[in-house]
Amino acid sequence: MPFRFLRLQGFLAAAILLLATLVALPAAAQDRADIVAEICSGDFAAQQSALSRLAGAGVEAGSEGALWARRIVEAFEGRSLRCGDGLAVIDTPDGPLRASTLEPAEGVDTSTLSAPSVNLRLRAVAASAGAVLRLFTEESVAARAEAAAYVDRRREALTPEILAAAVERETDAALRDTLSTLRASLLLADPDPVNRIAAIEAIAQDATLRNRTAIAEALAGETDAAVLAAGEKAMAGIDRTLALGKVLATLYSGASYASVLFLAALGLAIIFGLMGVINLAQGELIMIGAYAAWFTQEAIRAALPGLLDYYLILAIPVSFLAAALVGLLMEVLVIRRLYDRPLMTLLATWAISLLLINTVRVTVGSQNLEFYQPAYVSGGFPVLGDFIMTSNRLFAIAVALFAFIAVVILLRRSLFGMNVRAVTQNRAMAGAAGIDTRRTDMMAFALGSGLAGLAGLALSPLYNVNPGMGTGFIVDSFMVVVLGGVGSLVGAIVAALGIGQINVVIEPIYGAVAAKVLVLLLVIVFIQWRPEGLFAPKGRR
Amino acid sequence: MNAVTMTAPGAQAIQIDGLRVSFGDFVAIPQLTFIARYGEVHGVIGPNGAGKTTMLDVITGKTRPKAGTVRLDGKVDLLGMDEPAIALAGVGRKFQKPSVFEALSVRENLETALRLKPRSILAEIRSWADPRRGTRVAEVLEEIGLSDLADTPAGILAHGQKQWLEIGMLLMQRPKLLMLDEPVAGMTEEETRHTADLVRRLRSPERAVLVIEHDMAFVEEIADRVTVLHEGNPIFEGRMADARQDPLVRQVYLGR
Amino acid sequence: MAKIQSDARVDRPLLFRIVAICLLALIVAVPLLGGPLSGSALGLTPYLANIIGQIATFALLALALDLIWGFGGILSLGHGLFFAMGGYLIAMHMLKAGYVYGGVTPDIMTFMGWTELPAYWFGFESFPYAFVLILLVPGLVAFLYGWMSFRSRVSGVYFAIITQALTYVAMLLMYRNDTGFGGNNGMTGFSTLLGVPVGAPGMVTGLATASLVVLLLAFLACGALMRSPFGRLLIAIRDDEARLRFLGYDTLWPKLAAWCLSGVLAAIAGALYVPQVGIINPRLLAPEVSIEIAVWVALGGRGALSGAVIGAIIISALKFWLTGFVPEAWPFILAGVVLVVVTLLPNGLLDLKPQRLLAPLRRNRKPAPEPAE
Repeated sequence: MPFRFLRLQGFLAAAILLLATLVALPAAAQDRADIVAEICSGDFAAQQSALSRLAGAGVEAGSEGALWARRIVEAFEGRSLRCGDGLAVIDTPDGPLRASTLEPAEGVDTSTLSAPSVNLRLRAVAASAGAVLRLFTEESVAARAEAAAYVDRRREALTPEILAAAVERETDAALRDTLSTLRASLLLADPDPVNRIAAIEAIAQDATLRNRTAIAEALAGETDAAVLAAGEKAMAGIDRTLALGKVLATLYSGASYASVLFLAALGLAIIFGLMGVINLAQGELIMIGAYAAWFTQEAIRAALPGLLDYYLILAIPVSFLAAALVGLLMEVLVIRRLYDRPLMTLLATWAISLLLINTVRVTVGSQNLEFYQPAYVSGGFPVLGDFIMTSNRLFAIAVALFAFIAVVILLRRSLFGMNVRAVTQNRAMAGAAGIDTRRTDMMAFALGSGLAGLAGLALSPLYNVNPGMGTGFIVDSFMVVVLGGVGSLVGAIVAALGIGQINVVIEPIYGAVAAKVLVLLLVIVFIQWRPEGLFAPKGRR
Repeated sequence: MNAVTMTAPGAQAIQIDGLRVSFGDFVAIPQLTFIARYGEVHGVIGPNGAGKTTMLDVITGKTRPKAGTVRLDGKVDLLGMDEPAIALAGVGRKFQKPSVFEALSVRENLETALRLKPRSILAEIRSWADPRRGTRVAEVLEEIGLSDLADTPAGILAHGQKQWLEIGMLLMQRPKLLMLDEPVAGMTEEETRHTADLVRRLRSPERAVLVIEHDMAFVEEIADRVTVLHEGNPIFEGRMADARQDPLVRQVYLGR
Repeated sequence: MAKIQSDARVDRPLLFRIVAICLLALIVAVPLLGGPLSGSALGLTPYLANIIGQIATFALLALALDLIWGFGGILSLGHGLFFAMGGYLIAMHMLKAGYVYGGVTPDIMTFMGWTELPAYWFGFESFPYAFVLILLVPGLVAFLYGWMSFRSRVSGVYFAIITQALTYVAMLLMYRNDTGFGGNNGMTGFSTLLGVPVGAPGMVTGLATASLVVLLLAFLACGALMRSPFGRLLIAIRDDEARLRFLGYDTLWPKLAAWCLSGVLAAIAGALYVPQVGIINPRLLAPEVSIEIAVWVALGGRGALSGAVIGAIIISALKFWLTGFVPEAWPFILAGVVLVVVTLLPNGLLDLKPQRLLAPLRRNRKPAPEPAE
């Protein structure tokens, strides 16, 4: 049991807990009996201290302890706790229970026992402690949120430590924020300036916009010069961290967009380098990949609901193969008839994209698909300031990284990869050397299409998935190919990152359109200077 | 005929000095010095990768070298000029692959090749009906032996005929330096003989002819002088018959 | 680059003449049947006359693209950009003229929240001014983009994709309200054109006839141009640009001239189109619109002006007809047509030679020459 708790706690709380359990655990039973005795003592100060300890039980004694404490507090409030003769029981319709162990108290006549007196002050403390314990024991987010709102009004049993533990435990992001703010204001309201400075410094450790606001609010009515100075310094520090976090967050979301672009563009670049063909249906292959992921989800939901959490992983081969198969069919049925007519392949692949979009529209419908979001693509890890490394974006980056490594290995180490490189460099010579160029084309086209399918999978937790989703990607993907240079993996990465970053940097300031305009102008200007792309292989052409 | 340029036979038409060409890390030509003279047919031979085509690319402005000079007539520096300007300065190049305008007739191909007004394309178009154009076309048609096919679309000519047409297009321009990149590759024996005839007739006091070729017999038949290139370096210059005896050339071509 | 069959190089004179004569016949017939004879058995309804007029502008657009693609070998997937430019400029003229002379407040002022038209609408009430801009603005855009691309030897697939990107970005820009051209709503509610109310009887047939006249003139002029030495140079660029450069031609200028001419023709087509449909909005800039233009030309046969005109007529007539009752089938049909053309008819309908169709009926038939690829 303590281990389960350990896992849930952060490092700090774990340290406290360790200390507490070392002391408390062997004496837990005795402890509980002491607390009950104090409540029954009728001494106001002892009762108040006992209630505070009960409230702290949520932090110290694990979930079983928290449940017990809650029971006691509620019994105390509801006057079903009866004391007398060194005995304390909770009166229930099924008979009395011993307060310290919650075991049935046989043979106890509750009528001889009386409920401890409760004055107004004590009632408030009890209500606050009860709410605190609900914060630790309620299952539903809504009930915990209600409890949080209550403790905000009734802070009698509240300590910063309790709130820190509650924040650590909390799974709901919004509620976590509420609790953090509450904690900050609690710390900052301390009557001792020294404590307030310590509080400011402690709060500033966690540099979020919310904490900055809390400090700013506390400083509004502050008169102590030392506290004011500490506050200004803390806010300046938070501002720096926030700025850095913002930069990181932008870079991060740029990197995730770049991952999708990279996957789509890598496929385009391989195909273009090899066959001189630009696949205008690449965007639709992305769409196919996303739909394949959705079908995987639905199939698993129907057949193996237990594995639903893993559908995104299981969909990796499905999305790849579905798009690769469509690509393979395209190549065999259409593209290979159009050798030496690259401009016609533009029209042909456009026609195929039209077919794919409308086939999906007619068969599946044109609404956005609903994707189930398993735990590993929802939420994220707070890193710095307000920068949270969200899992859905991390997933996209991971898929791109995985695909990149796989492609590098495939192109560098396999026979197929060697053939692709040979045919890209000199088709006639490769053919003369016995390489089946047609087959190489076919396989490479399937590979490039499959990569687009992976892009579709990677973006499904991030973007809307509908039949027309692909059209937005083809322009950016092609810009990546132009910028990066044909047949260069490094070029594709650098260009995808560059274009991805431009998009996310410009978008919040001037809008998505400005970002696209800028990328296009950049590319047009760029090819003036370097028509072959950033990383074109050098050589005689 | 209407020879205007008075160049003494044997004067230098093209001078290449200290030429260095590299692609990335690969050095195609480390250090090349080469001269072609008026009135001569100069063969350049060498195994694959010897730098023959790269040399033509540099002369015609397609590739920029890392170092060196290329001068036409000992004065015109070709390195600062773009491809059309170099062509107008008097350098004609036949590509390895036959390159003609397939949708145009043989006559139209030749007409297009003549530059009466090198200064401006617009002026060239306006002078299309100039009688000199027709006269010159007739002469060249005769010379390359395609008079009967004058109105045939070039796209349906046989391989050899396309090569002759391309040579004819260069002749229209009266180049000072005419460079032929593997003119007989893929030709039948009959076509090769015909081409050799044609190339021999191209020799003229106001023209230097440079022929890059693999076919040794063909080179021996047409060239007054040969240069053997190996890994971008000239390893022999002289008569073809002597080249065959040269130990270094034998080693390069035949192995040890 | 694609090798193009020798018979696809220029129009077969007979076909060219047939198309010209048909256009001439339409120029005579449309005003007659749509005007005085509209009540007769052969009479044209305004709806039909309007469709003929629209198709004529499409044919003009196809002609423009064929100049640059069929003859110059330079594919543009962004001719919708020039078409839309012509359309927006004429729309601005009609709205401004209606506002200044007719006192009609354009809708665009209402939904853009303007109390007066912005400065860049200055002078648009004058038709000559608008007309000059219809030639100048697309010409200038074509020049700038063409100059930058051709100078750095951007060609082929790269060029085509970048034209598409350009059009796509223009579409995104025009969808925004703050670009100042009506955003998503575009411009509509035209009241007058050249002083005539748009609802006037004869306006529809008049515009249709005007479109046909412009089409015929452009057809004849382009035909003459392509048979001239300039056209020959353009074909030479298509067949082997490197050869031409090594013959001493700086190919930048002929390409740029053809490209700008093509852009301006497309803009004229747009300026004729918009008054006939009564609206312009950014949907005209969608990439698929531009690609459809290329489909017309590919179907009719690149490098033959008559083919481009025929291709545009066939596909757009089919589209008008089919979207009337099976709109959802149209994308499938269009895609099917494209796939059949590119795989089976590399030179479009020009590959359907009478002798080839009749070949199975003949006794001593020779195998029809396969298209050189």
